[in-house]
Amino acid sequence: SMEERRYRSSSGAPIALRCRQHSASCWELAVRCPRLQLRSLSAVTSAIWLAAYGLFVLSENSMVLSAAVFITLIGLIIYLHFVKIDQESLLVIGSLGVQVTSSYASGKESTTFIEMSQVKDVVINEAIYMQKVIYYLCILLQDPRDPQVVSEVVPLFQSSKPRLDCLIEVYKSCQEILEQRKTVPQSS
Amino acid sequence: ENSPAPLPERAIYGFALFLGSWFGFMLYLIWAYVPEAWLFSLGLTYWPQKYWAVALPAYLLVAVGIGYILLFGINMMSTAPLNSTHTITDNYAKKQQQKKFQEEAIPALRDIPISEVNRMFFFPEK
Repeated sequence: SMEERRYRSSSGAPIALRCRQHSASCWELAVRCPRLQLRSLSAVTSAIWLAAYGLFVLSENSMVLSAAVFITLIGLIIYLHFVKIDQESLLVIGSLGVQVTSSYASGKESTTFIEMSQVKDVVINEAIYMQKVIYYLCILLQDPRDPQVVSEVVPLFQSSKPRLDCLIEVYKSCQEILEQRKTVPQSS
Repeated sequence: ENSPAPLPERAIYGFALFLGSWFGFMLYLIWAYVPEAWLFSLGLTYWPQKYWAVALPAYLLVAVGIGYILLFGINMMSTAPLNSTHTITDNYAKKQQQKKFQEEAIPALRDIPISEVNRMFFFPEK
């Protein structure tokens, strides 16, 4: 069953959460960020080109104009490929593990898989970020040989930064699956 | 005991500081404004260069301005990043002893693990 709901990110941008339940022990949760707006792209491009034209008028060197065009193009490609994240998704398969995927605007996808024996819990943590305190979802990792100690914290949805209402939905779905771990004995 | 009330000793310290700071200020003004020739004629030759009469206040003001920015930066640097375990626990919480649960007694104060806190907050009580 698939559902899509609208929420807001912590900076106010509209985001969409898509929950898909593939089976009783498998959830896929994807948060989609707003796409690159045409108006901000035009604003930045015009600003750079106007500044370059001003420099050209002052220095009478036409290389400034071609350099500005190159910088704009290359900057846009780098931004789309390395910075602008379109969708972040979380695939939880009980008994197997957790897969975290980030899809960039250029189509690049970066994936991390965490085995279920290393996952201690999925919690909503609050921390100071820049000048604010934000809620963020994170996976607590454990060393299978010493399960009482939290060895690492993996924050999720770092670039979309959903607010608490969206995080609670994701948290409840994850807890449904993680609780099955205790009732169903794992084969190790 | 310690109280902020006025005392004779405090009055004397305050007046001594007042006189001392006025004397220091007058000395600074004399050093900055009186031409060197007059000071030499009095026999006072071993003064720092007058350049410092302007340089030291300028340095002080710039240091205060940079100090604001530096303090802000140090604060941001010492904030734990989002992926560090310091946002979840610390040495004192890891080494705390679990006291036994007693009936009808207030439970002992302890650091509650974040999983338990989350369950309490986000799952509605039934």
